[in-house]
Amino acid sequence: MRHALWALILTTSAVFAAEPPAWGINELMQELAQIKSAKGRFVERKTMAMLNAPLESSGTLVYTAPGRIEKNTRLPKPETLVLDQNKLSIEFKDRGQRRTLALPDYPVIWAFVESIRSTLAGDLATLNRFYRTSLTGNEAQWRLSLQPVDAKIQTVVKEIHIGGSRSNVRTIEIIETEGDRSLMTITEDPP
Amino acid sequence: MTGAGSRRALAVWVVAILACAVIIAKSEFTADMSAFLPRTPTPVQQILVQQLRDGVVSRLILVAIEGAAPEVLAQTSKRFSAELRQQPDAFVAVNNGEDVALSKDREFLFRNRYLLSPAVTTGRFTGAALRISLEEDLQLLGSPAGALLGKILPRDPTGEMLQLIAQFEGVARPETRDGVWFARDGSRALLVVQTRAAGYDIDAQERALTSMRTAFAVANETAGSGPALLVSGPGVFAVQSRARIKADAMRFSLIATALVAALLLALYRSPRVLVLSLLPVASGALAGIAAVSLGFGSVHGITLGFGVTLIGEAVDYAIYLFTQITPDTAPANSLARIWPTLRLGLLTSICGFGAMLLSGFPGLAQLGLFSIAGLVAAVLVTRFVLPALLPLKFAVHAATGLARGVTSIVDSARVLRYPVIVATLAALFFLGSQRNTLWTDELASLTPIAVSERALDEALRRDISAPDVRHLVVVSADSEDAALAGSEKIAARLQTSVEQGHLGGFESAAVYLPSAATQRARQAAIPEPAVLRDSLRDAQRGLPFRPGLFEPFFSEIDAARTQAPLTRASLDGTALALKVDSLLVKRTGTDSAAGAWTAMLPLRGVTDAVAIARAIQSLPDSAGVLVDLKQESDALYQTYRREVITYSLLGAVAILLLLLVSLRSVRRVLVVMAPLAAAVIVTFCLLVLGGNPLSIFHLVGLLLVVAVGSNYALFFERQAADLAERERTLASLVFANLATLIGFGLLAFSKVPLLHALGSTVGIGAFLSLVFSAVLITQPLALKAKPV
Repeated sequence: MRHALWALILTTSAVFAAEPPAWGINELMQELAQIKSAKGRFVERKTMAMLNAPLESSGTLVYTAPGRIEKNTRLPKPETLVLDQNKLSIEFKDRGQRRTLALPDYPVIWAFVESIRSTLAGDLATLNRFYRTSLTGNEAQWRLSLQPVDAKIQTVVKEIHIGGSRSNVRTIEIIETEGDRSLMTITEDPP
Repeated sequence: MTGAGSRRALAVWVVAILACAVIIAKSEFTADMSAFLPRTPTPVQQILVQQLRDGVVSRLILVAIEGAAPEVLAQTSKRFSAELRQQPDAFVAVNNGEDVALSKDREFLFRNRYLLSPAVTTGRFTGAALRISLEEDLQLLGSPAGALLGKILPRDPTGEMLQLIAQFEGVARPETRDGVWFARDGSRALLVVQTRAAGYDIDAQERALTSMRTAFAVANETAGSGPALLVSGPGVFAVQSRARIKADAMRFSLIATALVAALLLALYRSPRVLVLSLLPVASGALAGIAAVSLGFGSVHGITLGFGVTLIGEAVDYAIYLFTQITPDTAPANSLARIWPTLRLGLLTSICGFGAMLLSGFPGLAQLGLFSIAGLVAAVLVTRFVLPALLPLKFAVHAATGLARGVTSIVDSARVLRYPVIVATLAALFFLGSQRNTLWTDELASLTPIAVSERALDEALRRDISAPDVRHLVVVSADSEDAALAGSEKIAARLQTSVEQGHLGGFESAAVYLPSAATQRARQAAIPEPAVLRDSLRDAQRGLPFRPGLFEPFFSEIDAARTQAPLTRASLDGTALALKVDSLLVKRTGTDSAAGAWTAMLPLRGVTDAVAIARAIQSLPDSAGVLVDLKQESDALYQTYRREVITYSLLGAVAILLLLLVSLRSVRRVLVVMAPLAAAVIVTFCLLVLGGNPLSIFHLVGLLLVVAVGSNYALFFERQAADLAERERTLASLVFANLATLIGFGLLAFSKVPLLHALGSTVGIGAFLSLVFSAVLITQPLALKAKPV
């Protein structure tokens, strides 16, 4: 009798152990948080109501955990953008212009950049401060949708969709409230 | 004194007292903190002191909310600010970092961008220049910073708003959390509140603080141990100081009166004598306040606090008189005997307080005048009024047993001669070895603000990232517009210095309110509508902007081209108005500079002040001058310390001369001075050993030790007619000293630094003067009293 009980306990726990863990946002974030650095090329296409043709740009992206992103645009004009902690600096190389923005002073820009940075860093806490998140798909092909929490940001950003596979981010699509949208496609360099 | 003479004296006294009462009733009582800043010799210093009195700086209250989780603090900050914003009569501006406060500024900047942007110059709107602007816009639209431009692009294709915002970047600001300002470590939510009332209007400041506390109680939803409110700033200091001075003056006066009364009762065991003894004190106090009111136009609270010392000092005269009266002589006769000594003592006291009167501090001068007038009145009342009120056969029953005891102690005090001499020499040696660290060099040591309050103020200023302004360029001009134009010229030169790396940046009122000429030049740089349309059409060719996108731009820039120039009133309701008012001030007052305008450009990150000063000087007809505030205030302090030392020495010399003239003997002067000098040296040494470096006020205190202590030495030195008189003299000295000790000693417990410094110095010094006089002055019992 005693043996039977033990056996029961052992088999049940074995059954539970055998089942693969449910894959969800926490697991995705944990996986992303493992990445210490990444490099890739991007192509970005923006469609805006003010313009009668889309804007296209391309260049390279460098991510360093936990929160530094460097975006080097090559085309159509050289431009470097560095996001580090709560500072965003933009350098327009051909004009020799550089400006640094303290993100807390620009909540909308902050919300934009944090959607990308927090996702890359697997920082769900920060992401939740700005967005309601919902995840669809599976580990091999997932899509994270973000909707801004703050009413003021809602007037500018409607939704952000981040698509990827395992710990690779492949696409970032930003849909603005008034219809403008941009799609960034990233091809990661092999590590 | 004849009966008629007595009646005349009484009549004069009653009239004088009534006159004093009338003057006092009409007096204004202040607690203006700048009274204890030295009278300021240079124009720059005058501007700074004026700013402390009624400038914007004086109206700012720094507020911190602490003691709860950051989210709670942020919520409280928002609710508290909303409460305050509902009281525009009391609070002109409430800034806690929320957008509510900043959106008005942004609106002002955007609406007036073409008049404010330094980029608006001739050539800004040609086809080629517009083409560059549009290409930049496209690039910006492609970057995350495009959101900056976003919806305003059709109204502002040349990016003037971005130009304006860029000017403010790099200016230190507090951190923002949950939409409000926070200290770096998140422990405090921060606000800056501007009161409508000036800092010197203490009643209004007090009302504002009360409103704040009420608003906070409303905003603070958590009952019990919720977040706490901390406030600081010039107005807060003024209110706190006044309350403290008031409390001190009240409390110490009551205690001193009670103690002195107890002393007199113990001594004379007669309520009638008690009342008579207090008459000179009360008369002196009235005369002192009235004299200050007449001489200065208002009476400072600290002066009233200092009045406590008068209680202890003025009662001395009555004590001398009563103790000296013998049953077989008329009061007037015993008075005649001690009068010369009394008069000399009064004159030496006047020399001491006279040095205060001449010092450069209006506050200190008030104390000097108060004491002089008070002592003179007290002596006159003792001399002429008291005898008239005494019955002919008046005699007090002074505790004779006590007098005998005192005498025997004094007689044996001589054995302490050598210990006192050794102690004095040791003290002298110690002071000599410490001479470089004896005195504080801080101007701040003069403020009547408590150390803890100053520490809080510094902490809040740091939290709020208000940079310690050390360097600023001051521009003087005849009119507001000329001051702005001058600032613009200086700013252009400073910009070059920024590029050369001599400084990090600077602020100027002209950024928010350009001079009329500059505004006109910017308007002139905007082309006619038709021309502008053509240029933009050319510039847009081949770019993907939707046709008709820039219609808002055309209408808004044309409105700017023809709008009325901005004036200070255009800024009303924005936080920028506050900034402009603090950087651009009209000189008030009655001197020749009144009505002139001063613009201040605070510099930050200065690395080469010499180069900047030279650059500004090299400008043709430059009205600006670089000021180093730290240097300025250090120099100011040095000047005043020198001045006070000079006056104190002069006071000491005057006392010496007075003694020499009266005593007509160098030897006797030396005998009188020896215990006083020893008392000063040992007191000085004790104060230094007690800790803090000494301020100018301690120095003044040391002079008062000589002035007050000389009374005891003089009576000691005065030769008594017989043993009984000697006993009476000694007893009166001990009681007079006790009374003085009560007066000054109580002040040592005051939290007002000035009163504390004077009280502790004179308290210790007066006591030592008596003891050392007893020890050092041999008093041979002469058979016949020699006149002094």
